[in-house]
Amino acid sequence: MYSDLLHALPDVFAWTNFAAVVIGVIAGIVVGAMPGLSATMAISVLVPFTFGLEPLVALGLMAGIYNGAMYGGAIPAVLLRIPGTPAAVATTFDGYPMAQKGEGGFALQVAVVSSSIGGIASAFALMLLAPPLSKVTLLFGPSEVFWVAVFGLASIIFLLGGNPIKGLISACFGVFVSVIGSDPIYGNDRFTFGQLEMLDGINIVILLVGLYALPPVIDLLETPLKTDGVNSSKLGTEPIWKALPRMKYWKTWLRGSLLGIWIGILPGAGGSMAAFMSYNEARRTSKNPEKWGEGEPEGVAAAEVANNADTASALIPALTLGIPGTAVAAVMLGGLLVHGLQPGPMLFRDNPDIVFGFMWQFLFGAILLVLLGGSLATNSFARLLNLPRPLLGSVIIVLMLIGVYSIHGRMFDVYLMLGFGAIGWVMDRLKFPLPPVVLGLILGGFAEENLRLALRIGRGDPMVLFQNTTSLILVALTVAVVVGPTLKKRFIDSRKKA
Amino acid sequence: MLNIFKKTAIAGAMILSAGAALAEYPEKPIQVIVGYSAGGGTDVMARTAAPFIEKYLGDGASLVVKNMPGASGQIGVTEAANADPDGYTLGTFNLPGMMARTIDREAEYDRDSFTYLANVVNDPNVIVTSKASGLDTLDKLLEEAKANPLAITVGMSSLGGDDHFALIKLEKATDTEFTIVPFKGSAPARTALLGGHVAMGILNISEVAEFQDQLNVLGVATNERSQFAPDLPTFKEQGLDLVNGSMRGFIAPAGLPEDVQAKLIEAFSQLSDDQEFLDAMAATANPVEVVTGEEFKQLTSDLYDLANGVWQTTPWN
Amino acid sequence: MTESRKSRLTRPETLTAVGIILVAAGFLVPTYDLRAISALLPAAMLIGLIVLSVILLLADQRKASAGEDAEPMTKAPKRVIGAFLMIVSYALACDFVGFYVSTAITIPLVAWTFGYRSPLGLLLATVIVVGTIWAIFDYGMSQDFPTGRFWGR
Repeated sequence: MYSDLLHALPDVFAWTNFAAVVIGVIAGIVVGAMPGLSATMAISVLVPFTFGLEPLVALGLMAGIYNGAMYGGAIPAVLLRIPGTPAAVATTFDGYPMAQKGEGGFALQVAVVSSSIGGIASAFALMLLAPPLSKVTLLFGPSEVFWVAVFGLASIIFLLGGNPIKGLISACFGVFVSVIGSDPIYGNDRFTFGQLEMLDGINIVILLVGLYALPPVIDLLETPLKTDGVNSSKLGTEPIWKALPRMKYWKTWLRGSLLGIWIGILPGAGGSMAAFMSYNEARRTSKNPEKWGEGEPEGVAAAEVANNADTASALIPALTLGIPGTAVAAVMLGGLLVHGLQPGPMLFRDNPDIVFGFMWQFLFGAILLVLLGGSLATNSFARLLNLPRPLLGSVIIVLMLIGVYSIHGRMFDVYLMLGFGAIGWVMDRLKFPLPPVVLGLILGGFAEENLRLALRIGRGDPMVLFQNTTSLILVALTVAVVVGPTLKKRFIDSRKKA
Repeated sequence: MLNIFKKTAIAGAMILSAGAALAEYPEKPIQVIVGYSAGGGTDVMARTAAPFIEKYLGDGASLVVKNMPGASGQIGVTEAANADPDGYTLGTFNLPGMMARTIDREAEYDRDSFTYLANVVNDPNVIVTSKASGLDTLDKLLEEAKANPLAITVGMSSLGGDDHFALIKLEKATDTEFTIVPFKGSAPARTALLGGHVAMGILNISEVAEFQDQLNVLGVATNERSQFAPDLPTFKEQGLDLVNGSMRGFIAPAGLPEDVQAKLIEAFSQLSDDQEFLDAMAATANPVEVVTGEEFKQLTSDLYDLANGVWQTTPWN
Repeated sequence: MTESRKSRLTRPETLTAVGIILVAAGFLVPTYDLRAISALLPAAMLIGLIVLSVILLLADQRKASAGEDAEPMTKAPKRVIGAFLMIVSYALACDFVGFYVSTAITIPLVAWTFGYRSPLGLLLATVIVVGTIWAIFDYGMSQDFPTGRFWGR
């Protein structure tokens, strides 16, 4: 197998194939950086176009876009508090406060270096450990996946913000939105009001663009022209080699990479959950957790390393089992099928040069990220976002429409997005936290579906949920992570009182 | 008298316009509406077939695939059913799904809404069991199912799909009962089988061909061995009359001018002898079985009756 | 007295809480038609929303009786409403008149209305944005945007 890996290398360096990766990374950063455009949308627009391309050109483009976009999403997350992709939500927590403190440039550099590290780690996992890791995926049946979802949902309690009631309202709202569409078991409609467009559920991108991009656009238009919040002179940019020594986040990078890789190989949850969990864990183990949320660079590092660490690893179950770990991997699977690459154990044997070449492209995409992203983002891109506020606002409106329309090619989604936008604006003004909505939407229906599948497998007996070690470990982990800190806090409080 | 005159005039006009159509069709690009995202099985079928159809239509014909994903293909097929029947809008069609949807939910089309061109893909069902289950022959499976009704869990891609109908046929033919676990799609169902989380699965041959070593494939629901995987035995060989599968083809809105319809069917029927096309389809996991025109219509009608019969006795939602 | 009672009821949080309660209660109606297992999660979430909103409502009213002023949602309601209306009309225009025409009009219109008045800048921005979108999506990716229902198919 490792000789196949080396054998595939020369093809990757054929200039068209390599150029595809470079173009892909740049396009990915741009797409990620545009509020409203997402990696899922970019790759789904690209797939029909790749029918006429050589496999490694097409796959190189996709690998580049995926890597680039996962970092690109951090740019507006830091500068405008608009996550460019769903996975960049956690990047706003500390990235935006950093930009307000005049450290936006450093935040972006931390983001690009962390993204690159996560991407490289993930690419290595894909190249070297795909077969054993796909066995890990097999351990996770419906009841185990249910517990993973519960584990993720439990972390909402760390995202509730200042007012827990409002945080819980956000979470309930997110979970409720996740059940809209056809029932996961019976297929009958739930809250679709006869609209076929809603049968497949609410796409995360529609909700995200509405909730996260529309309120800042209104802000841009609301405040008169002169009072500009962030501009490039305040970015505090310095050359990246000078900034590098200030980044000492090895533990966070390692943990984030492992978490990202792990979430990636589990079907369904994807980058946003990886970023949230990595952020929570890094904060929990940090020496100064109270400073998080106020501009702690390590928070940006934690989120960005994890949301890139699931990119290549999400392809492990996709390539070996046909089940994509993330929404983007799902679209890429289509791109593979187009070129006659059918997922399964035979794939590695039948098309080694293409499959292993694709893996190399992931690695090079991640490495290129630092070179291209480092200069591109901190210089040109940050300046683009420094347009006059009304102009920037109007351009983002157009991008939002394009991004949402292109997912399925229908206006219905745009109107839906505007509805979520209105809700998002009210939530933003009344300080309802938005992250619980996102996590609730991603994990709510996912948990329900797997719970009900597990119960069917157990023919109604709930004990099926506790029947094997993997489930029990996950239950214990959930309890430890959720109850642990609360108990610890109580304990410390009671000792203080005493 | 006036009436007769009117009728002849209309008929004449129709012949004229039809003649014009024959002379010129296709004079502009033909749109093919695919009800799934780019890169899905149906989309790949349409895009693989498109250049061959162009070749057989001749005259520089051009087919443009348009994806209208959503609601398991229902959005796209509804759009195709309601398009102008001029031969410039075709659509992909999935069986038994498209017919089952007219039964289990409100649909703006029925089996008479289409001109049936050709069914191109027939992906037969297979019964597989996980290695962990120990049920490595059909006999062992049926024995266990009879001894412990409902004890065997069956993973499949959804309720009301071809897998589900195959299971119902199996249950009827062998007087057994299974516990259905409907996953969202066949890949998760297959993964649960590989991990041993469900004992048995009903999938399609294209979905298990790559996984023959990791699963027990007990049989294929075809009359004769499938060319897609000729080493796998049919159920008929094993004394069980079970034939079922998932089909994908092309339709046009009802009321297509006859000559346009004939020209299209003629083009589609040539697909089955085109080795280049067959190879391209095999590479993308699409077992080909071309059935055109009236036969395709009859096939759809039969599947509708089957689905309706099942729905009347055991509705699935 | 009536004046203050009215203002107590129009506090943004109170209004939002009442809104959530009404909408959630409305969504509860269709859950009766669902199977128990299908209705379980959505109904739990809706009831959760109602209960939490009641708590929010009470907390806000307590603040009101304590004499705390509610922060207004916006200091420039006209601009906010204007922005919302423009965005909605842009979406409608794309749907009915067509994407490119609407976009070419909306970019300068919105930017001009909200305070950016340099004609050259507006022209440049519009040409660059529309041109880039056309080049990438239409020309490069043959991606169709709405052509306008108004003009027929």
